[in-house]
Amino acid sequence: MRLLLVEDDELLGAGIEDALTRARCGVEWVRSGPLALAALEHGGFDAVVLDLGLPGMDGLEVLRRARAAGNAAPVLILSARDAVAQRVAGLDAGADDYLTKPFDVDELLARVRALRRRLHGAAHNVLEHGRVRLDLGALSVTHDGRPVPLQRREFMLLQKLLAAPGQVMTRAQLEESLYGWDGNVESNALDVHVHNLRKKLYPGVIRTVRGIGYVADPA
Amino acid sequence: MKPRSTRAVLLGGSIAVLLAVLGAAAWIGYDAGEDEADELFDARLATSARVLGALYATQPPRAAGAPIVVSFPAPLEETRHDEAGPLGHHYETKIAFQVIDAQGRLLMRSASAPPAPYAPLAPGFSTQRDWRVFTLRSGEHWVQAAERDDVRGELSGKLALAAVAPLIVGIPLVLLLLTLLMEYGLAPLAHLAQRIAQREPASLAPIVLPRSTAEIEPVLKELNGLLERVQSALARERRFTADAAHELRTPLAALKVHAQNAVRAGSEPERRASLERMLAGLERSIRLVEQMLALSRAAARAPAAERVPLQQAVEDALEDVLPALKGRGIRVSVATEPSAPEPVVRGERDKLACLARNLLDNAARYAPPGSSVRLELASRDGAARLSVSDQGPGIAPELRERVFESYYRIPGAAGEGSGLGLAIVREIAAQHGATVELGEGDGGRGARFTVTFPPAA
Repeated sequence: MRLLLVEDDELLGAGIEDALTRARCGVEWVRSGPLALAALEHGGFDAVVLDLGLPGMDGLEVLRRARAAGNAAPVLILSARDAVAQRVAGLDAGADDYLTKPFDVDELLARVRALRRRLHGAAHNVLEHGRVRLDLGALSVTHDGRPVPLQRREFMLLQKLLAAPGQVMTRAQLEESLYGWDGNVESNALDVHVHNLRKKLYPGVIRTVRGIGYVADPA
Repeated sequence: MKPRSTRAVLLGGSIAVLLAVLGAAAWIGYDAGEDEADELFDARLATSARVLGALYATQPPRAAGAPIVVSFPAPLEETRHDEAGPLGHHYETKIAFQVIDAQGRLLMRSASAPPAPYAPLAPGFSTQRDWRVFTLRSGEHWVQAAERDDVRGELSGKLALAAVAPLIVGIPLVLLLLTLLMEYGLAPLAHLAQRIAQREPASLAPIVLPRSTAEIEPVLKELNGLLERVQSALARERRFTADAAHELRTPLAALKVHAQNAVRAGSEPERRASLERMLAGLERSIRLVEQMLALSRAAARAPAAERVPLQQAVEDALEDVLPALKGRGIRVSVATEPSAPEPVVRGERDKLACLARNLLDNAARYAPPGSSVRLELASRDGAARLSVSDQGPGIAPELRERVFESYYRIPGAAGEGSGLGLAIVREIAAQHGATVELGEGDGGRGARFTVTFPPAA
């Protein structure tokens, strides 16, 4: 799962980034309103965690502009403003959820998972693909009921492909999803992850589309 | 002790004054009446004696024998006091005369007179027991005309009574009127008490009276002034609490996230990293709370009014901040004017040190490592001046007012300031009647804060 984190407080941002990364999410962290708007325009996020008090442009304004531009990414507002009127204003500006500081990390993660479900029209946190089962809550993968230990990026890659069976993903899409914008990606890193997944699960789980990228065929 | 009632004092005082006036009027009336009556009656007595003497002298001399007694008609004795009848007046019994020959024998007397002379036979007025007597030598005879003294007393008493009677009738009227006027005059006071009593404890709106008086107006004005001050102090406290609650949310959220991350860490290095970040968050929270308290304390109480040498306060501050400045490799220079008089501020050393500390702390936070911070202490016409210049990024002109607001941090600025340091500076400066100016540092680089105090008289 790839998330956009918009938070200007260094310490809190670092904490959320840690928590999300450990929950096997790809996190892109920006620290100002204009940067958040630019990131949203670029797209490719499964969910956005948005602080409101931001330098440059208030979070609510960022949200309004993104929605006005047709951006439908699920947004969770994370704010110190806890009055009912402020929550209502946040939700009315286009947020899907609202969490006040200080919050519980588990709750934040659960709400982020809920946002993903809504995005994909899914009712639960499990992606099933034939005999492969990927549990986003437990961060586990099973094959024929047998647990398969995966590295963080392998998990992220599998999730990305299983979330849209039959849809071919380009190398660039997948690399961005795995490494974000600032990662120095080795040219064959993606191929290594695909190779490992085929080895740990079964060779046919991911099909190579030559010259374009990869796809998980519908089971 | 029960407070004295204004109403009772006014009423009691008025009654006392009225009674005194009444007494004086009665006494003056009585006295004046008595004097006048004496004069009038004496003159009449003398005239009567003279007329009698003259008339008697025209009588042919009589052989000695019983004196002639001029008696009153019998009913006169029985007529009631004060009533004139067809035969005379009852008071005639109170008037008497005697005609006495040279040998002291009584020749003629009124029925009311005793058979012996009233008084020694010497000319002039005399008073014998209850009688006022005028003795006249008329030829060979003595004439004595007399009158009862109490007639006069009665007259002057009546005169005095006539003088004070309207006053006696007037007193209850005056008191009634006074009571009503006082009721009217004191009504706003009663209203005020009622308004205060009926007030909700939370209501601090000014008190409005339907009718005010010159006496109650200052009380009302001061009371409303106090209500307004309490109101604004309360609003400030509420704002402070709300701001504090809001401002603590982010650092607390950071602490919680890092704590949970540490608990859940998959490896020792991960746990360590989370704990270290948590410690940094704690440091920041502690400083934020300290600054909140410093601002609250600075605002809560007016400073003392001692004569504080500015240098002392600055040295106190430097002692606290120097380690942090040294830690970032920032040099500090203090410039004073050796020839000028020592800058002195009228105020409180601790608060002034707090002001200087926050200015230095601000410089230490935003000045780049290795740069220098310059402190200047000066005195102009007895007014002390402190300026702190740094070589940091400076503050844009449009933000130079906002940076003094509580919790305001320049967006995207480095450092984890509480956003309160300059608010504390402004608060303490204001309490000392000082102004804070914010401009560019030396050579247009960095920021320079200049605090100008009023002359320390």
